[in-house]
Amino acid sequence: MESLDALLKKAPTLVKGTSTLEELSEAEAELLGRRSVVAEFQRGIGRLPPEERPAVGKAIQEARRTLGKLIETQRGRLETESERLMLASDRVDVSLAALEYQEGYTHLITSTIEEVCDIFIGLGYRVVGGPEAESGTYNFDALNTPPTHPSRLESDTLYLDWGDPADEILLRTHTSPMQARYMEEHDPPVYVVVPGKVYRADTPDATHSPVFHQIEGLAVDEDLTFSDLRGTLAYFAREFFGSERRIRMLPNFFPFTEPSAEMHASCFSCEGGGQCRVCGGVGWIELLGCGMVDPNVFEWVGYDPSKVSGFAFGMGVERIAQVRHGVSPLRHFFDNDLRVLSQFR
Amino acid sequence: MRVSLNWLADYIDLEPSPSEEIAQVLESLGHEVEETERLAPDFGRVVTARVLEVEAHPRADRIRVCRVTTGGEPQTVVCGAWNFEAGATVAWALPGATLSGGTEIGRRTIRGVESNGMICSETELGLGEDSEGILVLDSGVPLGEDLAGFGSLTDTVLDLSITPNRPDVMSYVGVARELAAYYRVDYRLPEPVFPQVEARSRIGITIDDPTGCYRFVSREVRGCRVSQSPFWMRTRLRASGQRPISNVVDITNYVLLELGQPIHAFDLEKLGGEGIVVRRAHPGERLTTLDGVERELTPADLVVADRERASALAGTMGGGASEVTAGTTEVLIESASWDPPTVLHMSKRHGLRTEASARFERGVDPALPPAAATRAAELVTRLAGGEALAEMTDVVAREDRMRPVTIDFELRQAERILGPGFDVPRVADLLSRLHLGVAGEDPIKVEVPTFRPDLTRPIDLVEELARLWGYNNFPERVPRGPGGGRSVPQRRTGTLRQALCGLGFSESVSLSFMRASEIEIWGWDQEDERAREIRLKNPLREEESILRTTLLPGLLRVARYNHSHGLDDVAIFELGRVFLDRPHRVLPKVPDQPERVGLLATGRLGGSGLGVKRRPVDFYTVSAAWRALSQQLDLRGWRLEPVETAGWHPARAARLLLDGEPVGIMGEIHPAVVRRAELSGRVIAMELDLAPLVADRRHWQFRAPSVFPPYNFDMAFEAPEDLAADDLLSVTGEAAGDLLESARVFDEFRGEPLSRGRKSLAINYTLRAPDRTLSSEETAEALRAMANAARAAGAELRGEL
Repeated sequence: MESLDALLKKAPTLVKGTSTLEELSEAEAELLGRRSVVAEFQRGIGRLPPEERPAVGKAIQEARRTLGKLIETQRGRLETESERLMLASDRVDVSLAALEYQEGYTHLITSTIEEVCDIFIGLGYRVVGGPEAESGTYNFDALNTPPTHPSRLESDTLYLDWGDPADEILLRTHTSPMQARYMEEHDPPVYVVVPGKVYRADTPDATHSPVFHQIEGLAVDEDLTFSDLRGTLAYFAREFFGSERRIRMLPNFFPFTEPSAEMHASCFSCEGGGQCRVCGGVGWIELLGCGMVDPNVFEWVGYDPSKVSGFAFGMGVERIAQVRHGVSPLRHFFDNDLRVLSQFR
Repeated sequence: MRVSLNWLADYIDLEPSPSEEIAQVLESLGHEVEETERLAPDFGRVVTARVLEVEAHPRADRIRVCRVTTGGEPQTVVCGAWNFEAGATVAWALPGATLSGGTEIGRRTIRGVESNGMICSETELGLGEDSEGILVLDSGVPLGEDLAGFGSLTDTVLDLSITPNRPDVMSYVGVARELAAYYRVDYRLPEPVFPQVEARSRIGITIDDPTGCYRFVSREVRGCRVSQSPFWMRTRLRASGQRPISNVVDITNYVLLELGQPIHAFDLEKLGGEGIVVRRAHPGERLTTLDGVERELTPADLVVADRERASALAGTMGGGASEVTAGTTEVLIESASWDPPTVLHMSKRHGLRTEASARFERGVDPALPPAAATRAAELVTRLAGGEALAEMTDVVAREDRMRPVTIDFELRQAERILGPGFDVPRVADLLSRLHLGVAGEDPIKVEVPTFRPDLTRPIDLVEELARLWGYNNFPERVPRGPGGGRSVPQRRTGTLRQALCGLGFSESVSLSFMRASEIEIWGWDQEDERAREIRLKNPLREEESILRTTLLPGLLRVARYNHSHGLDDVAIFELGRVFLDRPHRVLPKVPDQPERVGLLATGRLGGSGLGVKRRPVDFYTVSAAWRALSQQLDLRGWRLEPVETAGWHPARAARLLLDGEPVGIMGEIHPAVVRRAELSGRVIAMELDLAPLVADRRHWQFRAPSVFPPYNFDMAFEAPEDLAADDLLSVTGEAAGDLLESARVFDEFRGEPLSRGRKSLAINYTLRAPDRTLSSEETAEALRAMANAARAAGAELRGEL
């Protein structure tokens, strides 16, 4: 019979030589099983003189522990290896996916409106909506547009065959009627943005559509000046087109603002000159019309123009989206081609 | 308005400002430069020269031999034109010259006579269309000058877009006046000097309609000769976008552009009778205008008439019968002030927008007519000969329109709108530069000349101050509002939109119109609100003639558009207003125009990938979408009930009730409608009123989740066809009482072994108590109660409990 020492000496080679869990189990049986040398010793203890028993018993325990540790270490090693092989055979093509989720897309007009509204919400504005089928009273009269003004002609404005003809029910030509409607219902201060559809008597072509979208802004407070209008629009231009933007304002004419202006932002695509796709080399992009609210509008809604002042602006949603993303011609906004819709979030 | 900088220099000295700067200044003053055009002739080595002698060609009848000089030794040039004689000043292309288009001119022999270059026509120089003969220059032109440089042919033209409130800028003098204000320099007006005869006019002027005509000035020139106008005038008119016609007609256009006062020249001998009357047209009266169109007039039209008939559409276009032609010798110049709306409506009605109407519809200074008539008389006598009558007829019908307006201007009015800094010296300086009279201090008395009809109120002066001070010279300040942001319904609409995108639907934005045919395919009867559409009074096209009563036609249009581009799986939604033929619930006078959410899908929908196929759409797709939306929006208390309605599948459509109120419809569109819409397969759709979906709802009370184990089990029922799964769920759920945590239908089938009219519904239930582990007795009791409730509703449990 081998001695324990001899056993302990040959055990590492035996254990570490196993290459599968089955072989390891066999080695384990040989070393620690019922027929193993260790078991023999264990069984032989009873035949030893009592005084020798503790020392031998201790040696046997020691040997069991050493062998057990050796086997467990090897088992861990073999299990790791076995799992490694198993996982290696479970390889995937990382360029594939189980499922392509079908995503839907927010329309560019909506996402543009939401972004602009968010910018003004950051400045403390409220978002309001209003009717698209309007009366001449709010679309024109309230906005200092006299009955003889050319914009009221049927060549410019779409009228509805509905209601009392004296009310001139029409499709609003701008979001500005909400200036009057909102001020009628609310006391100053007023800080609102009004996004929505507007209508003109235009046949669709590359740059015209009978329906398009505007965002109106109106701020009325005790001491707003032209500088507040400039600062607000410059803030908007920087938020929407990038922090480097400068603005310029050129005098223009609208019946419901005075002074009236057209606002341009410095081109975000070039430094001016050359053949810029965005600004045509001018260096400036025409963005919107604006101005200080005309006192006649305040009087119409019952505000005292000697006590409040304010500014208004109106931007074309398709226009600013077109400028920023290069969407052209205009019909791409309204065809709703899924290949176009899926380009924007 | 096209402004030639060469011509503009008659009225203001702008040297050495480059044209770019002038353009920028005009823009900063509110006059947009749409285009800057540089005019440069493309010929070379063409000089001014005098023809000394003209002789017949010895061997040809149709050409002549000329002796031409630039001041030195005369040279021989052969010429085929006959519109000149010895003494004429002409454009001589020297040997080596290049003509417009690149033709090179040399020295060549024509039928035995050597020709040193050629004498040019306007066509050959690329200047105009006149090819009747050669270009005859004005006598007195210095000889030997390079025509390209000399003839004002090198020029810069600014195409200005003048806003409707500034008729005073629609002229060379007006533009000069604006620039003078900016540059703090003077501008010049023409000062006509010309021969006049003391003779009385035979033409009496009557203004019958003082609403339409404020003032009528006439001036006569006798003994003139109509011919071509001089080269300089033709060049200026062409640069300004006008086609030269004849000297008298060109002069009317020239004065219009110069002063901004449209004038008209009548052939005096063609006017019937010896008087002119300004009146409304008689019903059915006819007038053939200069463009050759015979127009039927109405009493809304204002005409200039002789004793017999209408001769011109006031302020818009003259009539053919009294037109100045080659034989005209006596001319009556009309220079009048017309009522802007009258002219505007007349020109719109007749589709006739002219340089004259474009000015009158905005308002021409009523002080201008005498100056314009006088200037025209001067130019006619200078360029067409004859004598002007010293007497000018000037009939004023509206004295009130001719008085300057005075505005009391308080400084605080400027400060309130423009901020600090606008004190008396600055305000007085800015306003007086704009040629306004300024007197006194706070309030400043500001006298507005009649050429600025747009300035009537203090706020108008505020704008002028800002404009001349420079819009871009104001500081920037960002005011903050009191907040508010989006309302709850607006935020919930955003949630709804995001939820729809998450379900695979893309947002579409359609025009709000539909065609009649898009409604007809649905088969709605005339009483149906969807068929009672609101029509446009003045539609431009059939496609945009009716306001949509439902979002569905637009959604079908989008589906068809995508199908026609090879995209079969279409899933779209739209949020927008429809327009119904009934009064708005809140706003007076306008029609009801509720917001709706609509969706539509064709083909297949959903995720796809390895071993997973998209599911073809059917009713269950749309009901699933609704369930997901109701969860996103946290809507409870809703119910779908079968509905049979025109346009929808009779067995696959449902009405949605929310808290018992109908909100809309969803399901499969009737196959016949699908075919008529030129689509195929199942098409699912939904259209709901938006307001109830996104209304502000109570916040739901928190319930602590139970820590005790659930009891999960399946039950299958055999149910009659007309028992809705929802109803089975609700009766069995009620029977389970508070213990019910969830219930979900996971299978439905028909056929063997079930008899006809029966279906099987398999449901997975979870029961759980908040405070204890359920005992087997409790669960058995609950199951029995559920089975009994199902039986009472007509459904039998399949298998044992």
